[in-house]
Amino acid sequence: MIIVALLLATQVAVQDPRLERLDPETRSSVIAIVDSAREMGLPSEPLVQRALEGATKGAAAPRIVAAVRRLAADLGTVRTVLGARASTPELEAAVAALRAGASVPVLASLRDARRGPLTMTLSVLADLVASGVPPDSAAAVVLALAPNARDVDLVEFRRAVERDIALGAPPAAAAAVRVNAGARPGTAASRP
Amino acid sequence: MRTLALIVFACGTGGGVHAAQGQVTATFEGGISAVRYDGFLTSAAAALTPAVQWQHPRGRGFLSARGTYLQFESGNRSLDGSANGSWFSPLARHWRGELGVSVGASDYANIASFSHGAVEARIHLMDDVRGGWLGATVGRASFGAGARPVTVLAMGLWVFHGEVTLFASADRSLVGDTAYSDLRSTARWRRARMLLEGTVGARVWSRGGGRGVYGEGTATWTLGRRTALLVSAGRYPTDAVSGSIAGRYVTAALRLGAVSPRIRATRALSINVHAGSSDDASSDRARLEIQSRSDDEVSLTVYAPGAAAVEISGDFTDWRPVQLSRQAVESDVWVGTFRIASGMHRINVRRDGGRWMAPAGTTRSNDDYDGDVGVFVLP
Repeated sequence: MIIVALLLATQVAVQDPRLERLDPETRSSVIAIVDSAREMGLPSEPLVQRALEGATKGAAAPRIVAAVRRLAADLGTVRTVLGARASTPELEAAVAALRAGASVPVLASLRDARRGPLTMTLSVLADLVASGVPPDSAAAVVLALAPNARDVDLVEFRRAVERDIALGAPPAAAAAVRVNAGARPGTAASRP
Repeated sequence: MRTLALIVFACGTGGGVHAAQGQVTATFEGGISAVRYDGFLTSAAAALTPAVQWQHPRGRGFLSARGTYLQFESGNRSLDGSANGSWFSPLARHWRGELGVSVGASDYANIASFSHGAVEARIHLMDDVRGGWLGATVGRASFGAGARPVTVLAMGLWVFHGEVTLFASADRSLVGDTAYSDLRSTARWRRARMLLEGTVGARVWSRGGGRGVYGEGTATWTLGRRTALLVSAGRYPTDAVSGSIAGRYVTAALRLGAVSPRIRATRALSINVHAGSSDDASSDRARLEIQSRSDDEVSLTVYAPGAAAVEISGDFTDWRPVQLSRQAVESDVWVGTFRIASGMHRINVRRDGGRWMAPAGTTRSNDDYDGDVGVFVLP
């Protein structure tokens, strides 16, 4: 049964015409990783996309394979944290947050703190860290907002912090000021 | 201050406004400011402010437009513009009606954009030296794609006493979920070449608009027929309608052209829904704006000054390069419409067949291939 499923999965991947842009050796390696990931219940589309991105950018075969393999591993890590029901966008956002510097316990805390989709919460966390907010500080403010803030509020919050940083505020201070100012529904953009 | 200017205009008695003569006036201000927005660090800025106004020959209305270009010490720049106009009904005994329109937009650094538009109606009761009015404003204010309704209810009283004008008002502003009330009093005194204006106010009953007292003062010293020196300082509150945030400022400026009072330090800042940290030199050469049109159809606009060709590539194109269309001949704006599902996406932009780069307006991330990729999230 497992062998049949594996064969079917491999067949699906092979038939994906997009992967024909890869050279045969790279394609073979990528398909193997994709199949393995699918076997574990991980989404295949992000992996295919990462391979296609490498092809478009003219990356060498080993780099493409390594990038896809690394992404598969990260998807596996965050899926373990977020659970089997996590959507593909959530998993992708969680990988971005993980790579930005958020720890696995922080991801678990966000999962517990927030009801509903985590995509925006995780992407805001990743953005804050990318903006220079230390991972611990970013995690603290996002965790503070996560239970009650709507997605739109989180976007507003991120805007406000990035604006502060653009004006010269230290990133950690900007995040702290904004969360202390009460970045709650519908008000973050217009608060002093 | 704008309200006071309106009152002066409605009465046709302001020193800088002569209701019997229609005219176009233009001014240009150049100055330096020190600004501290609430929750921010103090920043110095150089400001250039052109303004133009047309007045109806018989004082029945006016149109004005104003822009401000700011260069902060950080190297960031801000640009905002606004226009407003009012039409006044003929004075019927002591009553006069007013209908006004205002629009504005602003852009800060490489992230954008705030805009608003509103219509305003007022009824004035006045005689030669005193009066009062009631007014209501409705409109929309938006950050990026998120528009919010605007409603402002206001009332005011004024009195002329020799060279002094006193004005007091109360208003209630509702902008989306944000609501606040302001109580404000303004005094204006003119003597020879000097004009002094001061405002004190308090924000109360606020939900999301901040609270507290504020005050501003401006001194205008007329140097010549078309030249004036202005010094202004104070603290002002958040204005959720125009998108400015509360702060303190000190400004010194030179005004050329027709001389009339007032200068304000820079206030408007705006940001992009997908604002990110792609701010290096290469990103400045391509700025991306993302606008959801319907369902999963998304319009991508790339500003690429000087480019002869612009391509994008992303997970929504299966990483196949797609040539964008130039919006108009010789334009720096390139556009394309794509079907993009909600969630996190990766994108690169390429100018004239060069290297792929993360466009400004996205969050730059390492792409695993020794380069950068722009990341954005569609809600």
